[in-house]
Amino acid sequence: MKTLFSKSIQFGIIAGVILIFSELINLTSTFAVILEKLFNSAKTGKTASPLAIQILTGLVVFFIAYTFLRKKNGSKSHTAGQEIGSGLLMGITAGILISLLNVILGTYLAKGQDIRNYLDAVSPEVISTFLFQTDIANAVIRYFIATILGGLAASLLHLVSSKTNVSGKISKFIQKIVQQSKIRIFLNKYPYMTTILTLLVVIAVFLLPVLVNAYAISVLGIVFIYAIMGLGLNLIVGLSGQLVFGYVAFYALGAYTFGLLTAPKPFGIEMNFWPALIIAIFIAAIGGLFVGVPIMNLRGDYLAIVTLGFGEIIRILINSNLLADFTGGPQGIKNIGQPTQPALTAKIFGKPFDDNVWFLYLILILFLVVLYVVFRLQYSRTGRSWEAMREDETVAQACGVTVSSYKVLAVVIGAAIAGLAGAIYASRNTYTGPGEYAFMVSVNALAVVVIGGMGSIPGTLLGAFIIKGLPELLRDLENYRMLVFGALLIAMMIIRPEGIWPVKRRTLSVTPESIEVLKKDLKP
Amino acid sequence: MTTKPAYVLEANNITISFGGLTAVNDVSLQVPFQSIISIIGPNGAGKTTFFNAISGFYSCDSGTVLFQDRPINGIPTDEVANLGISRTYQNIRLFTNMTVVENILIGQQPRLRSTFLDAILQTSRNRREEKQSIQKASNLLDFVGLSAYADDMAKNLPYGAQRRLEIARALGNNPHLLLLDEPCAGMNPQETAAMIELIKTLRSQLKIAIVLIEHDMKVVMNISDSILVLDHGEKIAQGTPEEIQSDQRVVEAYLGSGTENLVEKYSQRKAANRKAVQPHVF
Ligand SMILES: Nc1ncnc2c1ncn2[C@@H]1O[C@H](COP(=O)(O)OP(=O)(O)OP(=O)(O)O)[C@@H](O)[C@H]1O
Ligand SMILES: [Mg+2]
Repeated sequence: MKTLFSKSIQFGIIAGVILIFSELINLTSTFAVILEKLFNSAKTGKTASPLAIQILTGLVVFFIAYTFLRKKNGSKSHTAGQEIGSGLLMGITAGILISLLNVILGTYLAKGQDIRNYLDAVSPEVISTFLFQTDIANAVIRYFIATILGGLAASLLHLVSSKTNVSGKISKFIQKIVQQSKIRIFLNKYPYMTTILTLLVVIAVFLLPVLVNAYAISVLGIVFIYAIMGLGLNLIVGLSGQLVFGYVAFYALGAYTFGLLTAPKPFGIEMNFWPALIIAIFIAAIGGLFVGVPIMNLRGDYLAIVTLGFGEIIRILINSNLLADFTGGPQGIKNIGQPTQPALTAKIFGKPFDDNVWFLYLILILFLVVLYVVFRLQYSRTGRSWEAMREDETVAQACGVTVSSYKVLAVVIGAAIAGLAGAIYASRNTYTGPGEYAFMVSVNALAVVVIGGMGSIPGTLLGAFIIKGLPELLRDLENYRMLVFGALLIAMMIIRPEGIWPVKRRTLSVTPESIEVLKKDLKP
Repeated sequence: MTTKPAYVLEANNITISFGGLTAVNDVSLQVPFQSIISIIGPNGAGKTTFFNAISGFYSCDSGTVLFQDRPINGIPTDEVANLGISRTYQNIRLFTNMTVVENILIGQQPRLRSTFLDAILQTSRNRREEKQSIQKASNLLDFVGLSAYADDMAKNLPYGAQRRLEIARALGNNPHLLLLDEPCAGMNPQETAAMIELIKTLRSQLKIAIVLIEHDMKVVMNISDSILVLDHGEKIAQGTPEEIQSDQRVVEAYLGSGTENLVEKYSQRKAANRKAVQPHVF
């Protein structure tokens, strides 16, 4: 009983602190506005209505309280009175905290003091929004109503669900559906159906560019460019286990090589798209060789630091006045070439695609090519050797894996793929400059690999959507975009530390033959 | 005209020291074809270090290692594997996040030829090799009795099965010589008996010479053609099981002077060791 009491207060405090924090950075009202927009499309402006803030406050308490009650009751059950008391207590505790904050802020407001010097987000308008445009006493009552209702709702819901065991039944039901799902059985019975399904997905993806608007096309473009990069980095980090940090360097090499070959200035070569692309890939691969050879005997942290240095060197070089005659220095390279659309597409579809649609198709096709290559590599002797190296380098070598050459190979192929991504990126923007190759690009590429699941190809694609696509979806959150994004990443890594879509191992074994075959086979 | 070498492996006067400590001191060993030789000795005697010298993990301070009359001092471990020497490890070292079959496929590395380009282009060589190596892996699994686990993750195997998997992986490169570092460590009597059977079959069916380090005297006396005894890095005796059991120096080195039966004492020690964590890397 006593522990329930003190724990309830503890969780009430947690809810209260979350509320206070969100109010101080003005996150609550941003969410409240989004909430309103969900239900009321006519809503404009950025001031949250009192009701939305109240609902949000109640929801926070509700979630915290419900989580607490569910965990608590795992060991021993409480009476209905205790449950409701616990919910009430959490609501009151949270209410006291958030009211306290608003009393303090309200007092400052009444005195006419501006506290933005200390708390950047808390302007007088924000304070009055949180006071529901009324006086302090009124606001405090409203906050208590919200938090107490939230706490009570949580305990009631928990009572109902634990007595009738609704949630248990639902989760069992879902499990049953998943396990016995007709689709699963169907796919197992007819393996070629998997291929057909995959094809359908590919077709759907290929229909996307003509269906969505220009903004979505540009987002999809960058998502798939990152997916290509991720696939390359996945070979290096996810499969061969080398923590290479300065991956952006290869990306920049590809972009600049492509830019210099196709732009009118500074060299005026103005080469066609495809040969320039191939040369860019090649140069990036050579860059990979130059990096891969010296680092092949480094492990772990040393490797990360050395490659990080390499990334920075490239960025500083292209930014420097020293090489400005070749790289355009800080100004970068303008008017980079774009591929011309083959006349064939116009013939087939009646009229040529818009430029951005056509470019997205190009990115998709190149993505599929890269996908095919990495897929083949991963499920081959080469990919397995990389994985063995990642698992235990010493033993892999003693099994006959020539570790150093496989390491260099991974870096070279990964670099070539990054070079490809860089070249497409430069061509898409018709511009490239040193600003594009900040350290953040390496970090993002690494995040793409880690979020999806190291070594997992579909995971990499998913990771690209999350890292580059999700922030765009979160645009409504404005300044809190990155905050929420970070919180989501942390949550994901806690819930699924092995990545969202971890590698699925293949079933390879076949029926064994007689020992005579083995005897002959093993004749040294 | 080359004559068949007399021994599959000859280690002559091997010495290895770490700083001031001489872990292996002037030890020689000849391994005839298709023989089973055991190395025994108290903890820290230098047995594993001697293995590491033969398999290229450590380079010798002095002495030579000849594999079928060919000197292999100082060559990297992957080339040692290419030549046909395989080994297992005292504390099991599998590729834990790969499947059982994949582990054995890695063991076959020295026998495979297809490159990454073959893989990308799906050449016929790549397809044929993939098919053959998977078949061979399945055969090897059947041989060591692990077919049931074929597509499981290596880390999910029970302890005894992991030791067997290490042996199957070591067979992947068609070895002439197999080095087993404490293959029966931590096993119960049934598992130990099965392991003895397996080792005997390796020799009789697959014609492989085996050197093993083992603390379990029952195992050692049961299967060895010859036993090498190390103590403080030095060879104190070598001979048949009968000779070793009656060797006064061996008894003293292990157990202090006394007349008790060596086998008895040794199994007590082993039981005690089973709980002790092995301190070394290999
Ligand atoms: N890499 C190393 N660096 C320093 N000392 C080492 C190293 N490897 C082994 N030694 C030392 O060499 C000696 C022999 O070790 P070794 O592992 O060969 O013993 P062992 O006979 O295999 O013993 P056990 O029965 O415990 O496996 C020990 O004293 C050990 O501490
Ligand atoms: Mg040892």
